[in-house]
Amino acid sequence: MEALTPLALIIDGLLVLGLLWLAWRALNCTELFTAIVLFIAFGLLMALAWVRLEAPDIALAEAAIGAGLTGALLLAALARLQSPDADAAVTGRITPASRSTSPMFRLALLAALAVAAGLGHVVMTLPADAPGLSHEVAAQLAASGVGNPVTAVLLNFRGYDTLLELVVLLLALLGVWSLGGKVLHIDTDPSPVLDTLSRQLLPVLILVAFYLLWAGADAPGGAFQAGAVLGAAGVLLLLAGWRLRAGLVALPLRIVLIVGPSTFVLMAVVTLLVEGQLLAFPVEHAGLLILIMEGAAMLSIGATLAALFMGGNPDNQQVHR
Amino acid sequence: MTAIHLYALAGVGLFTLGLHALIVHAHLLRKILAVNVMGSGVFLLLVALARRTGEAIPDAVPQAMVLTGIVVAIAATALALTLMLQLAAETGHATLPEDQRESD
Amino acid sequence: MATLVATMPWGVMLILLPLAGGLVCFLLPGMARLLGLLTVFAAALSVAGLGWQLHEVGVYRHLLGGWGAPLGIELHADGLSLLMLAATALVGSAVSVYATAYFEREQAVRFWPLWLFLLAALNALFLSADIFNLYVTLEMMGLAAVALAALAGGGDALGSAMRYLLATLLGSLFYLLGVALLYHGFGSVDIATLAARVTPSPAVWAALGLITAGLALKTALFPLHFWLPPAHAAAPAPVSALLSALVVKASFYILLRLWLEVFADLATGVETLLGVLGALAVLWGSVQALRQSRLKLLIAYSTVAQIGYLFLAFPLGMAAGVAAWNGLAFLVLSHALAKAAMFLAAGNLLRFGGHDRIADLDRVVQRLPLTAAAFAVAGVSIMGLPPSGGFIGKWLLLEAALTQGRWDLAAIMVLGGLLAAGYVFKVLGHAFTQAPVAHEPRVVPASMEWTALLLALAALLLGFFAAPILSLIGIGDAFDTPEIGS
Repeated sequence: MEALTPLALIIDGLLVLGLLWLAWRALNCTELFTAIVLFIAFGLLMALAWVRLEAPDIALAEAAIGAGLTGALLLAALARLQSPDADAAVTGRITPASRSTSPMFRLALLAALAVAAGLGHVVMTLPADAPGLSHEVAAQLAASGVGNPVTAVLLNFRGYDTLLELVVLLLALLGVWSLGGKVLHIDTDPSPVLDTLSRQLLPVLILVAFYLLWAGADAPGGAFQAGAVLGAAGVLLLLAGWRLRAGLVALPLRIVLIVGPSTFVLMAVVTLLVEGQLLAFPVEHAGLLILIMEGAAMLSIGATLAALFMGGNPDNQQVHR
Repeated sequence: MTAIHLYALAGVGLFTLGLHALIVHAHLLRKILAVNVMGSGVFLLLVALARRTGEAIPDAVPQAMVLTGIVVAIAATALALTLMLQLAAETGHATLPEDQRESD
Repeated sequence: MATLVATMPWGVMLILLPLAGGLVCFLLPGMARLLGLLTVFAAALSVAGLGWQLHEVGVYRHLLGGWGAPLGIELHADGLSLLMLAATALVGSAVSVYATAYFEREQAVRFWPLWLFLLAALNALFLSADIFNLYVTLEMMGLAAVALAALAGGGDALGSAMRYLLATLLGSLFYLLGVALLYHGFGSVDIATLAARVTPSPAVWAALGLITAGLALKTALFPLHFWLPPAHAAAPAPVSALLSALVVKASFYILLRLWLEVFADLATGVETLLGVLGALAVLWGSVQALRQSRLKLLIAYSTVAQIGYLFLAFPLGMAAGVAAWNGLAFLVLSHALAKAAMFLAAGNLLRFGGHDRIADLDRVVQRLPLTAAAFAVAGVSIMGLPPSGGFIGKWLLLEAALTQGRWDLAAIMVLGGLLAAGYVFKVLGHAFTQAPVAHEPRVVPASMEWTALLLALAALLLGFFAAPILSLIGIGDAFDTPEIGS
């Protein structure tokens, strides 16, 4: 990449400064609510940075998951912490010890700056030109069944990582459920704006999700981005007061939650028996198989993210406020 | 220095800002935010340096790694937030026991 | 039949079986207990199959997706991985049987999917040959372990689980940063490829520092051990056994593997620091164990001390090779068995008396003889007395220390053994005597007592199988590293 032109310098420089400043403010401001809002803004700015770094897949994922859904989780957690029946002690005002004037704060900051200087030096010593694995990816891209190299890496070359990652997401939900938290419950009817918005947005979100899934084969997009959009749709529904029908909270919900990792495991077993290697796709069917696996993953990711927002197992809730 | 170095150093900066906040602050929500910022720093480093291919298309493997990392981060965040809420409900403080001498 | 055993993809099955089991247990909670047990036993059989395969054919390799490194991910199994997998299978099977009796239905439904996914993560970790894949398995293992540690509920368990989660996330991020530097410095995340390409440079030194720091935090090396004692003490007994025996060893295994392969020729002197911290861990952990009034905390601090032994081996191994590493491997296996037995025994005592205060252990020897025997026999291995596996491990390490003239390390090892005897006998002493206040005893199921005892006996008898175990560990020559400076 060539050296910075003046315009690029301004754009990238402002972006980087903005990121660092937002992170600093989000981490060290006095009010928790402000901190979370700044963190969401930080996430959106990160999405811009990903675009500047030519990583549109990550930009989509960051905006949806990193900024959007993480922000929703954080705000919901804060709301529960600060709910009227919560102890005053759990509110998050910054304490004397962590105020910026305390010696501990400054000492830690010096140590952090030293670490940063060391790491920065190391980064500058890395060679300016390094293809990494891009040649190998480009060479095998045609045999992978998709045109988007990131999708090829995620679903074909390193599909095993994706399998484990889907299990990690499910594990988080298992952990949340086993902790026995209460399900998020919205008592009041949604305001007209939220009501209308959720009704209008829901079909759009579902369409966008399926589009991202389909387009992810050859353009930015894919299962994770699509799943995140579905998760956002789920969060919107939950905020508008919608609840899963009682008959669906036990087995059907669990089926949807595990359809992603299960499809991966089934595909793994089948490919092991047929091809002898785990998750080795025959070239002529690779595209279709990847699409099937991505579709299942999208459903699971969306359901898991929405369930994580719900905060508790809907199956064993006598819902009290 | 090129834009790559600029973003890579920003990644290092975010990592250390997050590390600092994780150590210094007592409230668990701030610690969780700190861990997220640290993660973003590592991801920024990974993807920025992936632009060094010398061709138009960046290296796809670090980008896939970061996508995986983003999903893992939200999974960990969700678990951490629920743990925090349960801990706060149980003890009345959203901090680790050793940090409870302060007001939160 | 023999060819069938030799050609089956045992390594892959070791990962797929618990994954599938966990998914089905989640789907059908009513069958969780039975399915869980079956899955764990099937996985244990697969380890035996893998062992046979390694013995007959040699090192196991599987190219996931059909793509080899560096583009794809590879699974490798050599003697060292087999050792870790065997420890996982043995401890996992015993703990699973124990858990069927320990947990009542509501807890059991939560336990089994989490434990099966933890098992999948452990197996995947020990088989992986790709440092980014190791990051994903580390996170999988970490989240499952935290969720399991918090199962008991209550302020203690939740607080310690939260601390554990933050520590494990911090360690993972340090590790990931190191992985990023290695990838961008040398263009691969495959261990074998990296080992061939790595040259001394700021990038690899920084990566070494970051990865070692991150994994040391996850392995609870002194002074980064602060999260371990409360977390292992507050967890339910079978979970404590899994955490101390297996989870803590997994991050250590990664550290060992990377030092043996990627960081082998770097001559940085960091191993000296690790040795010093290991020595401090042995002393600090043992002294703290002596001071505890609660049994599970005592056992947890004993884990901190025993982990110190593992790090003591680093300077010895990097300097002169195989003997020290073999000792380390023996220590890992015997500690896994013995520590799990101790925690299961503590669980029995908790179930029996409703508390785990050491001073109030009320004539346990007469009333729970199997449990007391389990604790005593496990203590033999922790102290390092013959013929236990702990003895073999410490003997090999001592031998290595003496041949290298490291009298300081040898002295620490002997001192650690004495201190271990101190805290083991402290517990046993109280186990013989009557407590000042009697309390209502509850029944302890026989399966819980027997699993603890069998694990302890396994640790004790390990010494008799030293030769075959050593020859199995040697498959693939994991420890055959060139000496520093050569």
